[in-house]
Amino acid sequence: MSNTLVTINEVSKIYNNKKTVNSINLDIKKGEIVALCGGNGAGKSTLLRMIVGTILPNEGSISVNELNFYEHRKEYAKTIGYMPDDFQFSQSLTAFETLFYWAKLRGIDKTRVTEVLSEVGLIDDSQKQANSFSKGMKQRLMFAQAIISKPSLLIMDEPTNGLDPYWMQTFVQMVKDLKKNDQTVMFSTHQLHIAEALADRIIFFNRGEVILDGYINELKAEHGQEGLNKLFAKIFGL
Amino acid sequence: MNEIKVIASREIKIGFRNPWAYSFMALFTIFVLSLLLINSQHYISGYNSTSATMLNLSLYLLPLMSLMLGSFSYTSDKEDGSWELLSSYPLTTFPYIFGKYIGLVVVICTIIFVGFGISSLVGVAFGITLYYSTYLYLLFFSLMIAITFLTISVFVGTIAKNRWQALTIDIGIWFFLIIAWPTILIAVLGFMPYTSIKAILTVLTIINPAELTRLFVVVKMGGGITLGPEYYNWMLWINSEWGGLVFFFIVIVFISLFIGLSNIIWERKRLHE
Repeated sequence: MSNTLVTINEVSKIYNNKKTVNSINLDIKKGEIVALCGGNGAGKSTLLRMIVGTILPNEGSISVNELNFYEHRKEYAKTIGYMPDDFQFSQSLTAFETLFYWAKLRGIDKTRVTEVLSEVGLIDDSQKQANSFSKGMKQRLMFAQAIISKPSLLIMDEPTNGLDPYWMQTFVQMVKDLKKNDQTVMFSTHQLHIAEALADRIIFFNRGEVILDGYINELKAEHGQEGLNKLFAKIFGL
Repeated sequence: MNEIKVIASREIKIGFRNPWAYSFMALFTIFVLSLLLINSQHYISGYNSTSATMLNLSLYLLPLMSLMLGSFSYTSDKEDGSWELLSSYPLTTFPYIFGKYIGLVVVICTIIFVGFGISSLVGVAFGITLYYSTYLYLLFFSLMIAITFLTISVFVGTIAKNRWQALTIDIGIWFFLIIAWPTILIAVLGFMPYTSIKAILTVLTIINPAELTRLFVVVKMGGGITLGPEYYNWMLWINSEWGGLVFFFIVIVFISLFIGLSNIIWERKRLHE
């Protein structure tokens, strides 16, 4: 059985006659934690959204667990948990109600909802309105929503935005625990230290193309820590 | 089916926690009550000036209310990211569209029932009585107007990118189908050959749910004679044993067409954006 969970084959996305993602080829193995790094407009979020299926590629194909979005939409969606970057909660629903709604759409019961809220440290605030939460609390609620069904593939767009140092550490540990369960994680970030702390593998994007794809250990072995920082600075044009 | 239920339940919850719902409820109740109190000397039965005014009140207020409530619900999901998140779920488009629609129907029907209920109770306290069938026809008219325009609001929510666009389209539809309709009708029919007036009138009446519902209720309330000779055939079929069934059939087709079209457009946008 293949160890590859996600296969991205010659995938491109065109907006206003411009390729925001240009002929990407990637294989993501089961259990990997992959960071997509790059500046604004590099194409990271677009690629993640195409893997999730919220937008679809103009060229190429994406498969997750050998499933294709067009032919196996429901099964495809069941394998994925998604944490978007920007989300506004309903003004009138509590955190518990919000999470329970999403859980019910995935056929998950209340017990798991309570469990996940405890994991992300929101159980004491579960009866408060979700839109009254701080940015960090909202991020944790979105993370809870993404992991509630224990998906094979977890996709997160800028997941650490707004998290304080304590929750950043806790979040890093929670993601690493997912790896122990053989869950695969792909996330986008601007922050090199997050990528280093979390990821096994880093993929750098610029103008819709992959310009560097390597395992953190190998890159550090090749360039050393200082060399790695300089390499990232060069890629980011700093 | 479960997905429709889940989405409808959420929509009902949000709807009843939305201050707009209570503002509409209060507005509607006050207007109905005012009319009842103004005519407190009369026993209101059948189609007369009071019941006609109440019909017109519902005709002006409810379509705009339904259009705004419905279209804002769909477009706010686009604006706040809910739709994008939901499209990552094992959920096809139809349960989402139809579930929200059912939830909104429950909310708006509740608003109408409460409005009529409170007004009637207060009216009874002041000694004003609505004849039972008149009351039911007025309630039926309000419910049908709200439900059919809520159906149109689903389509508006589908094509509009945000709430501002939705509001503009809502006002345009309301103005065209409610305010300007009689003038447009007269103008269009004035240009038509005499022999084709009846056929065109039939088509134009069917495509405007407000006009169709108003005609049906006015005839059922015994006010058919006020419509004029062109509507004689309408009076005959509405008062026939098939009248109610045909009316409901047209409404079901109307709802199915708009929900179906919205589903196709929404799904197309999902796959091709």
